[in-house]
Amino acid sequence: MEDKSMLISRHAWLFMKYQNRNFAKQFTYIFVLLGLSVGILPISGCGKHADSDTRAAVAAGKLLAEKGHGTIPACIACHGNNGEGLDAAGYPRLAGLNATYIEKQLNDLARELPPAGVVIESVAKDYSKTPRIYSDLTVFSPGLRHDDVMSPIAKQLSKTDIHNIAAYYSSLPFQAKPVAADYEVLERGQDLALRGKPEYGLPACISCHAPNGEGFGTDFPPLAGQPAAYIVNQINKWQRGDRDNDNLGLMHAVADQLTDADKLNVAAYYANRSLIVNGK
Amino acid sequence: MAAELPQGEVRPAAYDARANIPTGLTREKAIRQIPAMNPGEYFVPPEIGDIPTSKYGDMVKLGRNIFIDTQHYAKRYVGNGLNCSNCHLQEGRKPYAAPIWAAYPMYPEFRNKTRDVVTYEERVQDCFRFSMNGIAPTLDSPEIKALTAYAHWLSKGAPINKELPGRGFARLSKPRDPTPVNGEKLYKENCASCHAADGKGQKFANRDGYMFPPLWGGDSYNHGAGMSSVKDCAQFTKANMPLGKGWTLTDMEAWDVCTYIWLQNRPWDPRFGWFFNIFTPPTGGN
Repeated sequence: MEDKSMLISRHAWLFMKYQNRNFAKQFTYIFVLLGLSVGILPISGCGKHADSDTRAAVAAGKLLAEKGHGTIPACIACHGNNGEGLDAAGYPRLAGLNATYIEKQLNDLARELPPAGVVIESVAKDYSKTPRIYSDLTVFSPGLRHDDVMSPIAKQLSKTDIHNIAAYYSSLPFQAKPVAADYEVLERGQDLALRGKPEYGLPACISCHAPNGEGFGTDFPPLAGQPAAYIVNQINKWQRGDRDNDNLGLMHAVADQLTDADKLNVAAYYANRSLIVNGK
Repeated sequence: MAAELPQGEVRPAAYDARANIPTGLTREKAIRQIPAMNPGEYFVPPEIGDIPTSKYGDMVKLGRNIFIDTQHYAKRYVGNGLNCSNCHLQEGRKPYAAPIWAAYPMYPEFRNKTRDVVTYEERVQDCFRFSMNGIAPTLDSPEIKALTAYAHWLSKGAPINKELPGRGFARLSKPRDPTPVNGEKLYKENCASCHAADGKGQKFANRDGYMFPPLWGGDSYNHGAGMSSVKDCAQFTKANMPLGKGWTLTDMEAWDVCTYIWLQNRPWDPRFGWFFNIFTPPTGGN
């Protein structure tokens, strides 16, 4: 008896909860279900066929990467003949990276850092008064990335050059050559990559950089197949403030929590992964 | 005897320093107060390498597999695109993300949702039914057994029937009624870059499953799930989102964004609407 009355009242509550929903949108599905006895297969293009614009950009990018232009040195001098990077010097691989990501990084490398000593004062806010939309007051960095070697080169590139280079390198195939490392180092690196540090609020690498460190979308670059030295250098840059161009400041928050040992372990772990991009 | 101060005078101790910190170009530095995570403050579950090589250990490993890849290892019982670890972050280890090591020792316990005492296994069944929008495995199924073994192993050394710090989600204040208008704005700025503007998450290009889980639509949790209540969602969001930047939203922002999410379309509560689930399925998803 008691249970029954509880049930009824719960259903009444749920009814009240749902009664202001948009039924019209949903009842169209009745007609869809009644009218269709076969599912409609989504028509998708089989594989990406590069249109002529992209092909031209890739060709122009290839030319710039191999020959350079005026005072712009050839990319292959540091980034390897096939964009595989240079382990010893910590020069990153570019082959198979997301085109939009490469483009953004080059634009950020070319951007002037603000003069030192400039402090932007926040707007004084009184949170005890009327509610306001704080997000209106959010200021994100325009995307800063400084590198002694790459920034001067990036400054010389035109927008078109950057677009072409991004198109070229994103089209290149890549196969990682796993670098051997100490077993304990790999184990610790793996622990960080798969689980992060829960008790410190540090998320796992895989939660953004994809399960095998292959990267995801335009915001999350691959970690697998990058030289260990490069990964360590970039985390150091975030900690120093030389790099501040990540989406929502996510990587900034992560880098702030990494110890020197963490950097080395996780970089070694990802340099040790195997990876195949663009079906090489 | 301390001299009494007149009402309204601001003492240094009561002064909110957040109002005139240079922002360093980010909002959260001006307004956040992140609780310091000190070593030893939270229970630390055992390491993966310490799983014993035994039948028990195999069950623990299977449980962990189900936990982090529910889509594959518990395929039969799952009705959406989620995994356990989408909410119980970092393999169920993260404090304030409903860590398993804090939950398991509390069972059997009274549950307001069913108004009955439930065992841990029955609680996991409800996860499948509501959060995974699927079908509850039977209590003797290998899935339930393995998940219980994993929870048991994670809780090694945790005290039985004792509230541990970090259990469940954050506790929030609620200074005013939440507004989905503000929530929509917050969602587009802070959440949409991963969970997509339409809330449907982002799928992998070259494999099954979601890189970033859907928050609403047919591939997300249904209306009977805990996350479907604005309160639970806000408490989770406050402590954990955006990922890696927990505690950076204000309490009110968490309420607002979850109110916006609550207004969206998702599968019906299975206790309520089998008819609606069949004839008016939620839009989107899949």
